[in-house]
Amino acid sequence: MTTSASAPAAAPSTTAVAARTKGLRKEYGSTVAVDRVDLELPEGAVLGMLGPNGSGKTTTIRMLLGLVRPTQGEIELLGTPLPDGAEQALPHVGALVEGPGFHPFLSGRENLVRCAAFEPLLPKKQIKQAVEDALERVGLAQAAHRRFRGYSLGMKQRLGLAAALLVPRKLVVLDEPTNGLDPAGTREIRKIIAELHEQGSTVLVSSHLLSEVEATCTHVAVLHRGTVVAQGELTELLQAGGSALHVITPDVETALSALRQAKISARPLGDGLRVELAGTSAPQVIETLVKAGAGVYEATRWKTGLEELFARLTEAEEAERGMSAVDTLDGGAR
Amino acid sequence: MITRQLGSEVRWMLRRPRTLIGLFGLVLVPIVISFGIWTADGDGGGPGIAAILRGNGMVVPIFTLFLSLNLLLPLVASIWAADGLAGEAQHGTLRGLLVAPVSRVRLLFVKLFGLTAMSLFAVTLMAVVGIIAGTAFLGNDGMMTLSGTTLTTAEGLLRIAFFVVLVTFQMVAVGAVALAVSATTEHPLVVQAATMTSIIVFQVLGQFSSLDWLHPFLITTGFPGLVDVMRDPIPFDQISDSTLLAGCYLLIGTGLAAIRLVTKDS
Amino acid sequence: MNKRKVTLAAAAAGVLTGATGLSLLAMPAGAGQPPSLPPVAPETLVEQVLTSEPGAFGGTIEVDNKLGLPAIAEIPQLADGKHSGRVWTDGNGKMRLALPNGQSEQTIVDDGTTTWVWNSADNEVTKSERRADKPDAEPDAKAADPATAAKEIVGLTKEFSDISVDGTARVANRAAYELVLTPKASEKTLVREVRIAVDAELKMPLRVAVLTNGTAEPAGTVGFTEINVGPQDAKLFEFTPPANAEVTTPEAKEREGREKRPEAGVEQALRGEDPQVFGTGWDTVLGARIPTEAMTQVPAEAQGLVDRFTKEVSGSWGSGKLFTTKVATVLIADDGRVVAGAVPEQVLFDTIGQVK
Ligand SMILES: Nc1ncnc2c1ncn2[C@@H]1O[C@H](COP(=O)(O)OP(=O)(O)O)[C@@H](O)[C@H]1O
Ligand SMILES: [Mg+2]
Repeated sequence: MTTSASAPAAAPSTTAVAARTKGLRKEYGSTVAVDRVDLELPEGAVLGMLGPNGSGKTTTIRMLLGLVRPTQGEIELLGTPLPDGAEQALPHVGALVEGPGFHPFLSGRENLVRCAAFEPLLPKKQIKQAVEDALERVGLAQAAHRRFRGYSLGMKQRLGLAAALLVPRKLVVLDEPTNGLDPAGTREIRKIIAELHEQGSTVLVSSHLLSEVEATCTHVAVLHRGTVVAQGELTELLQAGGSALHVITPDVETALSALRQAKISARPLGDGLRVELAGTSAPQVIETLVKAGAGVYEATRWKTGLEELFARLTEAEEAERGMSAVDTLDGGAR
Repeated sequence: MITRQLGSEVRWMLRRPRTLIGLFGLVLVPIVISFGIWTADGDGGGPGIAAILRGNGMVVPIFTLFLSLNLLLPLVASIWAADGLAGEAQHGTLRGLLVAPVSRVRLLFVKLFGLTAMSLFAVTLMAVVGIIAGTAFLGNDGMMTLSGTTLTTAEGLLRIAFFVVLVTFQMVAVGAVALAVSATTEHPLVVQAATMTSIIVFQVLGQFSSLDWLHPFLITTGFPGLVDVMRDPIPFDQISDSTLLAGCYLLIGTGLAAIRLVTKDS
Repeated sequence: MNKRKVTLAAAAAGVLTGATGLSLLAMPAGAGQPPSLPPVAPETLVEQVLTSEPGAFGGTIEVDNKLGLPAIAEIPQLADGKHSGRVWTDGNGKMRLALPNGQSEQTIVDDGTTTWVWNSADNEVTKSERRADKPDAEPDAKAADPATAAKEIVGLTKEFSDISVDGTARVANRAAYELVLTPKASEKTLVREVRIAVDAELKMPLRVAVLTNGTAEPAGTVGFTEINVGPQDAKLFEFTPPANAEVTTPEAKEREGREKRPEAGVEQALRGEDPQVFGTGWDTVLGARIPTEAMTQVPAEAQGLVDRFTKEVSGSWGSGKLFTTKVATVLIADDGRVVAGAVPEQVLFDTIGQVK
């Protein structure tokens, strides 16, 4: 309870950061779970932490929450260094880490009441109301009296979310929040994330699914084998490699000259061409080609930037495990 | 804040089905004993307190607790300690408490408090049921001591209260060591097994006179001495030795649990 | 500085304190520094011991027994090992003894006119009225108190001993002189010396240790581990038999008890009405004759017990069984003659012929 942290105002950074790590490393015996992780989570951002299973997302989050002591590196959470400043920062942080943890013999409501009793920012008188609000918010009000033991995976996940949202938070950390949810549940989670974003909370959400991150995040960090391979704003990353179209056509020459006339840059590639989409759009390119009489068998958007990177990572990973790269809702992450 | 956490902890323990079953089992002990003595014929006799139970209902709570201290009460304490940390880790709720946040030292304090409060509750409950069952089945004509004197009912109640405190303390000491084990694992059963095995092994070791150099270190060595509460006047040296011995276990258990909790990754 | 380090240090300190406490509890209470007291002449000290009137006190007595005695059912407190009991006396003949036996307890209360013996194990009270012709109704009770026991020893043996004061000691947290009685060279006894710790202030014996030939450790020690001198609660010297306890008299008890226990016969004979005394001083031998019917009525299992602790001997005096401990020897002839004393067996063989 002493003043162990400097005032947030003294932070030298230009833009305010909700969390920051420097050179983070965690070893479990001989396995290195996380290495050289420098994360920056700007205030008000929704950061998607992307990475295949086992890439170190959960470990990073645990270190951010002071649950695990880093082997090396520094962490700053809401302006205080961790793990020493945990007691100052954590009341403002809501978290759902590696699956929801609750007591099976208590009802959903009782479980939340028990969580609420340990929330420093929640006055005793408001506990009851806060619990009801949180239950309402995640759509569990109807099932709140039932024992946690009987909850479906999705309901458990929602209750975990409710516990993270008991108090208005500056930062909400969600580790694979859509795990086990049906499409409707996934949409609700996205809605809640959007609401939090609107209210000005910072959100850190980890996932092994790009689509999820794409839909909700402003920022992205990609982890692979314990290290950050890319991070930044989502739009920037998605456009990092520019946008292109892969056109398969038998009339490469005709197509090239037509495009050159239309001032669209393109070059032959394999059994077709690669067309840069800078200053133009895919329908325009197709129209030009069709007008010139070049036959278009197939036109696919080139995977770019983040997408390309993530696909490479996940496909490599899943191929290793002998699984198809089919994007399923459950994602198989555990 | 702390009172609300302590309250929540005790409520949580009381809500657990296992706790309720355990308490129910404990309450049966004095009833069965009273009933057994009531139906048995003969003029009493036997070793220790059992000999003076006949017609002496006020001794039932003491006899019950004295008997239960050997196995039943350590078992219950170990269950509570096991559920306190290992059980919470198993259910993933420990994480939730730690990010709430509850500091790890505070958490240990809350757990120790829960253990103490529930132990006191269980022991008191057994004593109260013992008094009632003893009075009902065996009669209550003051409390006859091992020294052959007869105490008034008020004095007897005071003795029972004193014994309740002593037994609770022994139970908490066992529980504190169990908490230290509990902090190292995610499997509550491991904690219970380790604690009960130790208690039983200690008692077996206590039987070998060739190991008498070891006996003063075993917490179970202190259990029989508590019977001195039933002597008149009370000789305090064995009682204080037993209590100090338990105090050492309490310190060691709490210290080890704290070290483990503070350095633990969850 | 760092909160975590402070916590760890505090926790480690707690563990260390607990461990230290455990080893302190396990260590036998140290004797402590012997107190420094003004020198005293042995003769003066003996005189003071014999004339001292300890008055009222209450305390805990510990008997450390390495005699090699078999456990005797009636006084298990005297079997081998450490046993303790509590004693209270008002200094005027009233006394109370509490002898725990495991979790049971034997309580002996002498309220001035009646001696009550309560045994929790059988829920039984033995009541004996003190008769005018027998003022010391319960020699058992008296002997367990080291103060009285030591006084008796000193009184009986001082003429036959070399007496010296060998430094000081702290007993039951009180300063004491160590009075040493060494049997004179002419005494044919097993005893090498008797050490009596005498309270420096009250001149009351606090501890008696008997050392025998051939061992450095005392064969037996009786002493206070705790004592508080001064008036004791008068209620301690009253006894009301518990409502549902059986009250008997010693006579009734003996009638049923004698057939059961063979050693009781020996005990009874030697301690009984008129034992024959041979010799004086340390090598005094007591003799008696057990009625033959008592000898033959010994049940088989009790006979087994006797055989286990005795050895068969024979000589010109006849044949019998010899029972040996470090400080005493008992010879029971097959015809019922019994001799006993703190003497080597040869002395008994030489004496038994004189038993009538
Ligand atoms: N407690 C632990 N003990 C040993 N290894 C661990 C532990 N936690 C995580 N790991 C390892 O660290 C790596 C990263 O795990 P994790 O952070 O859970 O990945 P993710 O959450 O991205 O799936 C994995 O290889 C995992 O096996
Ligand atoms: Mg994970």
